[in-house]
Amino acid sequence: MDIATTAAWKSDKREAVKEPLLQVRDLHTHFFTDSGTVRAVNGVSFNLERGERLAIVGESGSGKSAMAMSLIQLIAYPGKLVSGSVKLDGREMVGMSESELNKLRGGSIGTVFQDPISSLDPVMLIEDQMVKPIRMHLKLGAKEARRHAVNLLERVGIPDAERRISSYPFEMSGGMRQRIMIAMALSCKPKLILADEPTTALDVTIQAQIVELLKNLTETTGSAMMFITHDLGLVARFAQKVAVMYAGKIVEFGTVDEIFDTPSHPYTQSLLMTIPGVSDGQRRRLLQIKGFPPDMKKPVVGCAYKDRCPAASERCRLDPPELAEREGGHLAACWLENGLRSGDGGSIEAMLGEERNEPFASAGSGAANGRDGGREPSAGEAADVVLRITDLRKSFRKASMLPWKKATEIRAVSGISFTLKRGETIGIVGESGCGKSTTARMLLKLEEPTGGRIEMNGNTQIVFQDPYSSFNPKMKIADIIAEPLHVRRIGTREERKERVRELIQKVGLDIAYLDRYPSQLSGGQRQRVGVARALALNPTVVVADEPTSALDVSVRAQIINLLCDLKEELGLSFVFISHDLSTVRHISDTIAVMYLGEIVEYGPAEEIFVHPAHPYTKALIEAVPVPDPKIEAAKKLSLLKGELPSPAHPPSGCAFSSRCPLATPVCTEKKPALQPYLDRREVACHAVS
Amino acid sequence: MEQEAIAGAVRQQASTRGSKPRIPLPFLRFLYANRSARWSVIILVPILLLTFLAPMLPLQSPLESNIRASMSSPSFSHFFGTDKLGRDIFSRTLAGIKVSLFVGFSVALIALIVGTAVGTVSGFFGKAVDRIIMGIVDIFLAFPSLLLAIGLVAIMGAGTLPVICAIAMADIPRFIRLQRSLVLGLKSRTFIDAARTVQAPQLWLMSRHIVPNTIAPLLVAASIAAANAILIEASLSFLGLGILPPEPSLGNIIKDGQMYLQKAWWISTLPGGVILLIAISLHFLSDGIREALDPRARK
Amino acid sequence: MLSYAGKRLAQLIVTMFGVVTLVFFSIRMIPGDAASAMAGENLSGAALEEMRQKLGLDAPLWRQYSDYLLSVVRFDFGHTITTSLPIAELMLKALPLTMMIACMTVLIAVLLAIPLGTLAAFLANKGRKALDNIITWAAMVVDLMPSFWTGLLLMLFLSLNLKLLPASGDISFGEPGFMLQRIALPVLVLAVSQVATLARITRTAVLEVLNEDYIRTARSLGMTEILVVFRHALKNAMLPIITVIGLSFGHLLSGTVIVEFIFSIPGIGTLLVYGINSRDYPLVQNVILFYAFIFVVINFITDMVYKKVDPRVQF
Repeated sequence: MDIATTAAWKSDKREAVKEPLLQVRDLHTHFFTDSGTVRAVNGVSFNLERGERLAIVGESGSGKSAMAMSLIQLIAYPGKLVSGSVKLDGREMVGMSESELNKLRGGSIGTVFQDPISSLDPVMLIEDQMVKPIRMHLKLGAKEARRHAVNLLERVGIPDAERRISSYPFEMSGGMRQRIMIAMALSCKPKLILADEPTTALDVTIQAQIVELLKNLTETTGSAMMFITHDLGLVARFAQKVAVMYAGKIVEFGTVDEIFDTPSHPYTQSLLMTIPGVSDGQRRRLLQIKGFPPDMKKPVVGCAYKDRCPAASERCRLDPPELAEREGGHLAACWLENGLRSGDGGSIEAMLGEERNEPFASAGSGAANGRDGGREPSAGEAADVVLRITDLRKSFRKASMLPWKKATEIRAVSGISFTLKRGETIGIVGESGCGKSTTARMLLKLEEPTGGRIEMNGNTQIVFQDPYSSFNPKMKIADIIAEPLHVRRIGTREERKERVRELIQKVGLDIAYLDRYPSQLSGGQRQRVGVARALALNPTVVVADEPTSALDVSVRAQIINLLCDLKEELGLSFVFISHDLSTVRHISDTIAVMYLGEIVEYGPAEEIFVHPAHPYTKALIEAVPVPDPKIEAAKKLSLLKGELPSPAHPPSGCAFSSRCPLATPVCTEKKPALQPYLDRREVACHAVS
Repeated sequence: MEQEAIAGAVRQQASTRGSKPRIPLPFLRFLYANRSARWSVIILVPILLLTFLAPMLPLQSPLESNIRASMSSPSFSHFFGTDKLGRDIFSRTLAGIKVSLFVGFSVALIALIVGTAVGTVSGFFGKAVDRIIMGIVDIFLAFPSLLLAIGLVAIMGAGTLPVICAIAMADIPRFIRLQRSLVLGLKSRTFIDAARTVQAPQLWLMSRHIVPNTIAPLLVAASIAAANAILIEASLSFLGLGILPPEPSLGNIIKDGQMYLQKAWWISTLPGGVILLIAISLHFLSDGIREALDPRARK
Repeated sequence: MLSYAGKRLAQLIVTMFGVVTLVFFSIRMIPGDAASAMAGENLSGAALEEMRQKLGLDAPLWRQYSDYLLSVVRFDFGHTITTSLPIAELMLKALPLTMMIACMTVLIAVLLAIPLGTLAAFLANKGRKALDNIITWAAMVVDLMPSFWTGLLLMLFLSLNLKLLPASGDISFGEPGFMLQRIALPVLVLAVSQVATLARITRTAVLEVLNEDYIRTARSLGMTEILVVFRHALKNAMLPIITVIGLSFGHLLSGTVIVEFIFSIPGIGTLLVYGINSRDYPLVQNVILFYAFIFVVINFITDMVYKKVDPRVQF
């Protein structure tokens, strides 16, 4: 704490006399649960300057949200701000009366929450939710307050705001609701905006719109912003300063360039290595952080990161490091001056990279080195098609209660075709509602196609997105993995047991886990079980439906590596469905970009990423924030306007015409067919071919 | 918060379980660890013991009258006093409890079994089957439950068996509805899809995935249904429609006492207190089950 | 809103049709036959035949059924067997008392229970468990008290011992003062358990809503706790509360039978018990039908109110 204070004092001196907008000192917030005290925020100190955008980065459970809520003292019971100081404009907020705090909340401090669907009162008109706080804080009359609210809505890009203000939240899309949340947060010209994962629940192109909006608004109003996220790409795009949180503490604090160029804390350094690089051409094996974050109920002795840190020494186990100044003025909490780069023990890659699952290491020692050669399918394999989809269609009919009304038809998938060869991975990308999950369900025979053909050579299995709901909570892990064998009556009881043991080891879990229930496993472990189960029937194709999007960054890398290893070892083919473009790029050989039930671009992954042809692909790739502030700064975003049209009423002609920057009259009349483009690609766009 | 403590306890229990033989030890430990369950045991066990050991206790028989001791107030020889005919209210109450518990558990069991079976079918197969079943259920639910029971008893006549049937008939539609909504909720869960991807047959889905996950809420509902059945039986008997004297039932004992309310307050009030105790203990039991099997408890 | 009401109304009619059918056939399922059950063992063949005729049991089944449907639509329920009084008239005469008791109870319950439940939820949300525990426990115990028992206890204390309220005496609308005194105890008995039920539900509902994200949003906008609870939490919590008020009305109707019986109030419940005791099946059948009708209508009204509060509801 002392060091933090001196550091703060130093930065005070640097900034002349001008006081920072927000000064947080040694903040502690605990949750007093009956099973123990969770020290969610465990001594956080930092400054935020006026007009500055600070990103708080950390994994789930790192205490970043609890910290933000502590600032405005809105911690739900049994949470309690235990000690510390929060000064806004020099005024101490800790110990303030509730009515004084209420003047600040919504007045000087605006807050934007993560989930716009649940963050607006469902049974209250937008108007009623917005106008009341405005009247309270700005002391305006009812009419003026309403006018102010309409202006704000217009400013955040709500079309037809005058009418929209008297509607209910459920009548609007997620993106619109988040704009409304932002308008509410900004309504009383706050000096500080707290944004807790404001774009996590949104689609990529909408996310890009919201981020641009927030950036513009803070720049024009001069508000400072504290932005909580787990997405390092967003940090690079958006933040000026970054605070990395781990186990309730800030472990590194600095400007965005410092954090990305010269990270000093081992956690930050490792985190930056675990994400698949979007810019680097050749695919390396992802580095991964071993282990899991500490249990916050137990007191932390020494450094909280010591168990996962490859450079941990005796001192780290006993003595907790505090934030200390590094070269260039940024702060890190590590005994080693340069974290993992300090010692002479080689590169970070070497320290993190050796984590391979035991069975694989013995299975193929040459595989690790020869993996680049294995990428390109050889000519012999090319003939080996395991999955061929032709003109696959699926439409849902929604019948009306009234017999004379015509049923509305929603075309979820309208005529897609692709082939998949043995050992290959096809990535299907697109935003929610593009039909990618319906495609997966048809591949697994969970949905009956309304048209087209699926030809399969062998069987298909799936790894689901959410490892929390995809297992029966009443079944043991052993029974979950064995279920496919059991149902198909494969082998004797003993053989099945043996097979289950083999499978769980294959995915890198100990056989001790077989006796547990899903609730006793972490997200990453459950996802491994999901993979083991999928392998039980020796599938030729594994469909992975967003297998990593429910996981934390450090665990995500473990799962992606596991999938890559299996693909190589077992010659599996993957259909990899995701909205996370960098992961798709990392793992796929071929990519199909879907929009409103159609494939708009198809071809080799690398080529598409480097030279996207379809305007939608271009927009999608551009919209994804890259974890590199330099690339982000150089980007000139051409944001897609509007939102995804309803699949019940798709635009005439090209489905993308309503949002396309290149749209011409032809596009609204004639639907472009998927046509060959360049060497091995196909694109459906009038402007391209 | 108390729930979290139990959740923790349950979780710990689950993890320590391992390879030990499966004796009902966790159950006993749960009874001890869970406050609601503990209270329910503290109330229910003595009542049960007294009820079933009553014939062995030195008590006047429930039907034996003793005109000389007519309407004597509670004392050591007659804990709950005596009625007009000099019958011992305490021993009549114990006999009444036996009837009440029999009715309560029979109703809960019947409603649980029938309701679960029909509700599972209705929720799982949907379509026409579901529509027909739910139509019938709606018709039954149009009657307030005590009134439906009254109507059915009016048709079937008084007595223990008709009372059980009548109350069960009123409860079954509620169980069907509950089970159906549980099944519908489970049907959309991903693990059902996961099982379907390996072409698990319907029977497997129902027996392995759906029914095991509905047991907890059903047991909660069943223990509440038992409490309600006891209350309804007492109400019916009180109205003179359920179990008729001289066979003692808590309801008809209380009804007998109504006439002498001022002269002999104990005849009506004390057995009524016993009904309340039983109902409270069954509710504690349901709370205990709920807490033990709460999905939140399993994180 | 209108189309929703229309659809619900259609559903109501279908349900009522089913209810009438069920009532019609259930009376024909009496072991042996209704006439002999009613007549008792001591009737000769001729008298039995007469009874059959009186009950309309001699006509073919479809004829009996269609006659019954028609009579229900015309609100003409025939006459009682024992006293030959028109049933519809009896019910209409008994209805005001029963409805008065029921409605007063609901009113008291809503006025007391919602603030009480909200208070308990608010305390629980703030982690102040002691007072919340007292309210919750008291509500649970009161909720489980059998209403006939509470009735007797209150009668014992308030009218027999303290002589505060009369427990007997003829009720007529000519003497509204005495009538109110007479129905005060029944209302009190029912209100006690209704308050408890509703307070528990309100507590649960409000507590759940207080943990919702939009409550946090409201707080983050500087809304005071009072505004948060009354403008946001209570309005959202009203949804389950409305449902429960509608459902507990059924419980309340059952309750009126018991309190009318205890306090000898000539309402519909008394009519029902009289009907059963005198084995007057047409009377019993139609009173039960009438109760079902009231309950279904109340549920319809509940649904309409629900729709009004929550615009998201769709059929």
